[in-house]
Amino acid sequence: MSAGTITLIDYEAGNLASLEGALERLRLPYVRAASPDQAAESGPIVLPGVGHFEAAQRSLQERGWWGLLPALVAEGRPLLGICLGLQLLAEGSEEAPRTPGLGLVPGLVRRLGPGVKVPNMGWSRVRRASDHPALPDAEGAWLYFVHSYALEPSADTVYLADHGRPFAAVEARGKVMGFQPHPEKSGPDGLRLLQAALTWMGATAIAPEEPCL
Amino acid sequence: MPAKRIIPCLDVKNGRVVKGIQFKQLRDLGHPVELARRYDQEGADELVFLDIAASLENRGTREAWVRDVARELSIPFTVGGGVSSVEDARSLLRAGADKVAVNTAASLRPDLVCELADAFGRQCVVAAVDVKRDADLGWRVYLKGGTEPTERSAVDWLWELNDLGAGEILLTSMDRDGTGDGFDLPLLDLASELPIPLIASGGAGLEVHFLEALEHGADAVLAATLFHEGILPIPRLKAYLAQNDLSVRI
Repeated sequence: MSAGTITLIDYEAGNLASLEGALERLRLPYVRAASPDQAAESGPIVLPGVGHFEAAQRSLQERGWWGLLPALVAEGRPLLGICLGLQLLAEGSEEAPRTPGLGLVPGLVRRLGPGVKVPNMGWSRVRRASDHPALPDAEGAWLYFVHSYALEPSADTVYLADHGRPFAAVEARGKVMGFQPHPEKSGPDGLRLLQAALTWMGATAIAPEEPCL
Repeated sequence: MPAKRIIPCLDVKNGRVVKGIQFKQLRDLGHPVELARRYDQEGADELVFLDIAASLENRGTREAWVRDVARELSIPFTVGGGVSSVEDARSLLRAGADKVAVNTAASLRPDLVCELADAFGRQCVVAAVDVKRDADLGWRVYLKGGTEPTERSAVDWLWELNDLGAGEILLTSMDRDGTGDGFDLPLLDLASELPIPLIASGGAGLEVHFLEALEHGADAVLAATLFHEGILPIPRLKAYLAQNDLSVRI
């Protein structure tokens, strides 16, 4: 396993097939890890996720990830949360008031609405909230969102989106980053953001195969 | 508010995309991956695949093409057809579908919708409903591809589906389906009062029909023939909608 291999946490709460397809198209090597002993020794960790906050938290706990992730981040290991994965990085969520989040990014996750349709399902444009050293300019890019809860904006918010109110679409604190949209489902703009984030976190693309001479 | 979505619908039989000609013969349009790639490039916002001959025997075939589509596609997709249990849904979601559509099975056993929402989150659960205008009920719900009438009123059933945990409604007017006469707008007016997203289906024939449906509260519009036959290319439709001040992803 080469340095720069991505560890994709497999905890039955994510659509891994699409994410794997996106990583393959980007030629970024990854391993699927149901438990921490299957993780790569270094390189970025990706926490995907769809479904319920509490169910996801429990599943991560059962598999030995929940307590480990903050420790790995403290050692400098990069971590990327996607969709529910971003929400789990926060301090907590209205979806499960008694279940604390990982607390790796500031703020709470709150239910969308009132006055708008929930789930928020579809393509929205994002706008820049602050500069980030690695992410490409995505001002006005269309990204695909599917969620009923969202992280409130903070000083660590890089891109905002709106559904009734502004919320954090891309959040970054040190080498911890989160995407509320699905970059793997968001066409070329999404792939560009995913590639930039993971490369900045240390993922290294495999060179294309040499053509036969 | 997210952009209004344009969704091509593909009927799949035994791992091939097919098109019915006058309800009898089926014409082969290609492998799901080929069409998925084409629509992705054309600017579709999402795809819906309906497995029209779903059975236990072809489950493996279905998982294989769903997996292939998931790896290829950079936009979301829904798969429906014969989904009647949490396990059916799990196999499709694990293979890479973003959402599953349920129809007949949900009507026969409404708890299925709750079970799916609990297991995967309501954003994964699309409730497909086929309706016809009816003197007694306003609109009546039909099952099994519109062949079997139920005693349900469409509007009551939509609210029940919302309460059960559906994340989105795919509403097809059987009266309008295949006519090209436009969507059933009074139906959309009622259905768009639901607090969850609404996909309108049945009746698209002209650009203006899509505009009308979206102005009558649909969050997304679905069509098949118009897109498959290239009668209305998606970029042209989106340009038209944008000119009419609707938010679309271009």
